[in-house]
Amino acid sequence: MTAAALATEAEAVVSAPHGRRASPIAYLVAAVCIAVIAIMGAPMALSFLASIKTPADASAAPPRYLPQALSFGNYDKVIHYEAGLATYLANSAFVAFLTIAACIVLAAPAGYGLARFAIRGKEIAFLVLLAPIMIPYQAILTPLYLDFAKVGLVNSHVGLAIVHTILQLPFSIYLMRNSFEAIPREIEEAAMIDGCSAWRRLLHVFLPLAVPAIVTVALFAFINSWNEFLAALIFMSREASFTVPILLVSVRIGRHGAVDWGALQASVIISIIPCLAVYLALQRYYISGLISGAVK
Amino acid sequence: MFKRLAFCALASALAGPVFAAPALADTMTMWVRASGANAAAHLVDLWNSTHPDKIELTTIPDNEMVTKLATGVQAGEVPDLVSFDLIYMPDFMKAGFLVDLTADLKANPNYASVAQAYKDIATYEGKLYGAGFTPDVSILVWNKDLFKKAGLDPEKPPRTISEIHEDAKKIRALGADTYGFYFSGACPGCNIFTTSPMMVAAGSKILPANGADDALTGDGVRQVLETFKEMWSEGLVPKSAQADNGANFTAMFKTGKIGIQGTGGFLLSELKHDVPDLNFGVTFLPGVQEGQVSSFVGGDVVAIPVGSKHVPLAKQFIAWELTDEAQLDGLAKNNILPSRPALADNKYFAADPRVVVTAKALGVGYVPWVYHFADMVNSDSSPWINMLQRAIFDGDVDGAIKEGREKMKAIAAE
Amino acid sequence: MPRARSLERWQGWLFVAPALVFVAVFVLAPLGQLVAMSLTDRSLLGGGKFVGFENYLRIWRDSGFWRALLFTGKYTLVLTPILMGLGFALALLTVDNTPLKRITRTIVFLPVVIGLSSSSLLWFWLLDEQVGLFNKLLVDLHLIREPIVWFVTADLAFWAVVISITWKVVGFGMVLFVSGIQSINPDILEAAVMDGAGYWSRVRLIILPLSRRVLLLTTLVSAIGSILAFDQFYIMTSGGPRGQTFTAVYWIYQNSFVSFRLGYGAALSIVLTLIILIFSTTQIAIAARTAET
Repeated sequence: MTAAALATEAEAVVSAPHGRRASPIAYLVAAVCIAVIAIMGAPMALSFLASIKTPADASAAPPRYLPQALSFGNYDKVIHYEAGLATYLANSAFVAFLTIAACIVLAAPAGYGLARFAIRGKEIAFLVLLAPIMIPYQAILTPLYLDFAKVGLVNSHVGLAIVHTILQLPFSIYLMRNSFEAIPREIEEAAMIDGCSAWRRLLHVFLPLAVPAIVTVALFAFINSWNEFLAALIFMSREASFTVPILLVSVRIGRHGAVDWGALQASVIISIIPCLAVYLALQRYYISGLISGAVK
Repeated sequence: MFKRLAFCALASALAGPVFAAPALADTMTMWVRASGANAAAHLVDLWNSTHPDKIELTTIPDNEMVTKLATGVQAGEVPDLVSFDLIYMPDFMKAGFLVDLTADLKANPNYASVAQAYKDIATYEGKLYGAGFTPDVSILVWNKDLFKKAGLDPEKPPRTISEIHEDAKKIRALGADTYGFYFSGACPGCNIFTTSPMMVAAGSKILPANGADDALTGDGVRQVLETFKEMWSEGLVPKSAQADNGANFTAMFKTGKIGIQGTGGFLLSELKHDVPDLNFGVTFLPGVQEGQVSSFVGGDVVAIPVGSKHVPLAKQFIAWELTDEAQLDGLAKNNILPSRPALADNKYFAADPRVVVTAKALGVGYVPWVYHFADMVNSDSSPWINMLQRAIFDGDVDGAIKEGREKMKAIAAE
Repeated sequence: MPRARSLERWQGWLFVAPALVFVAVFVLAPLGQLVAMSLTDRSLLGGGKFVGFENYLRIWRDSGFWRALLFTGKYTLVLTPILMGLGFALALLTVDNTPLKRITRTIVFLPVVIGLSSSSLLWFWLLDEQVGLFNKLLVDLHLIREPIVWFVTADLAFWAVVISITWKVVGFGMVLFVSGIQSINPDILEAAVMDGAGYWSRVRLIILPLSRRVLLLTTLVSAIGSILAFDQFYIMTSGGPRGQTFTAVYWIYQNSFVSFRLGYGAALSIVLTLIILIFSTTQIAIAARTAET
């Protein structure tokens, strides 16, 4: 059974009470859904509305729900700040792409090794691989930065991608490991009987079956790399190399911490759009990806 | 400069194709903190348009500038020039991060007329390490329309802290939505900028330079805190002020609902741009008695970090930015204060006397020369902000001052 | 046969090697340097000499750190069940793939993709007493009489942060749980329906137990994230009022980057890492044991 078919069947049995007639329960559930959408979506909606207000209107006290007059002043400010939004977008995208590649290249074999081989000390290896998320990230950045400076990896997108990979690797390995663990032994044994080496088994049998998990790894690697601020600022030294989060902080904070609320809202909306696009495009793979990725 | 160009041209002509000709135009890198970026850009653009060697500006968010510069110097990843909050000069000078500029600056006739505060902050053990770059100074603004509505003379600003209190009371009486005064109650930096000058004007000294030095001296601190405490308990200040960490430091006055507020010169152009209909006035921050005025001389200084690859050229830039041309056409023309108060009365400022007042505030102001400024003042757990909050919101003025004094001296002694 | 097995083990290590090498070079090495730094009184501005365990002794006497740690613990213990409970409930709600439920899932997940600092500022703006729409909404709905200043008392500030983080992060758990539930073998559930088990019985007796692994993974990741919380407090509460909402990492940040005490900050970080290590090991041990049942 393919993952998708499994999903459809499972959901049908999980929640359909009796038959498929719409019952009062179904209406109640729909009402709850709409309430959830309203509550969860309200902050974003308000942010969007504020972003198209005039800059002065966006910080009005008391505030108004709807814009008095439409204005793209806030977006203008963000898009034309310093080196221009396009530059930052390109840098962020490049770093995110490198991070995704590194995560997949490292996590897939590691997950495979942990899932399918009887290694002694497997759990210890796994704990070591989980180490990066246990260390306060601000603390590790300083030694890392000084090290990278010695080997010329600062002010380089590759260097930054390495830092992002450090942060994403644990979760990626976990996902890949669980995804591989869920693949039935019979398939693997069939491949072994056919004389496939371990490496070829990984490439031709496991990876294709774990595409959804890989896509999930890619999605989260993208989102986290895209939004990462501190390392991006410390490791890059020239405006033209900066990423989107740095732009967003610089554009909205004025002297003594004064916040330009309009610019904040515009920057929130701008930073969401690429991530939302990636999420929607991958949603199909993404949902079923976590099926095999995270569950026994 | 011509001599250098001529030499280069001669050298490359003589060198022939065997040697690579030296580049005639260099590019220098410069870091500037985000809140000084606008002002710096004006100067840098002017330099770039009049010089073959260019400067490439990189904007660093305010809160991260110190970390970035410190780690950068230690890693050898530094720009050729750096512009940062002058309050960090002592720490950087002591750590040996900056290039000694004493000879060049002392020989520069323009340097003599720079505001004293900028000279002081850039001096360490008799040597000079930086120059004022994009000044900012704190002032008092008042909303003339609200004054008129409250029956106050819109052209007559408060001249003492008690007058602020009185005027604020009248403005608050205008209605539920109008407040007499504003300050950001959880923002240490905003208050050292706008509240401490009132204490200093009244004769107090705020921060200790070392363990043996005294802190929070004189009666000024107590009097200002008492007045703030009263204004707060009388509801003359919006309740949100207590939690404002600076986010609304400029937004509140722009709403037109605040009568009086301490702020910085940077707000002037923002007000004129964002809320052109708001009639406001500018005056010095007052003390306790008439005639007592002060301000906090802030903004950015420019310096050359150790490790800079273009030290002579960078020195040229610093020398240039002190010239009349740079100060007037770069700064004054764009409504930014020149670091030489003598240039305050210039044709660009003539159109708006408020800007002249702001520029003159540079001459009456102070800037503290201390180590660990962040620890003592700007930090979210600093003795400064704790004292303010304990005195104003908890009401314990004397206890707050005592505690603040002890903690500041402890930090200075480290 | 034994030879094939040891070959297999060899190969297993080979596959794991790249990731291990990566972690060794880029994480363990700097961690070692961090440990070395913690034995000095190094300043952010450079310099510093070896001081042995002085920093660690200082931690023992640092009441600010322990207060921050306690606060962080409280935050983690409160937030994690909320995130997991709400996440699981939302998963149950939206597990079908009907259009409405898919949209619900997307809207709930959307905040996850925003950067943490943006989201924290967004909520700071929403909750502001003067410019905030959240307060205005509550007043307009007649739920409160006048706007609340959220960040002026430690309790309200705490809940404000909890609300904002729940909004931002609940979608992460929801999505993980949805896929967990969707992967349950439908035969089991069908059999339960045949046996007359009601919806809630099915949830209690089948879905929950079979989702145990996802629950443990998500709880672990979520808890570690909460223990390391920083940005949201930095931006929304500034550690206030009066330093009552400093988290452990915030305290480290203050010491390292504001007070310039990098050596001491390194020691604090090592202590925090050890705490998390113990915590995670326990969690993983529990997960491993449960997986065997």
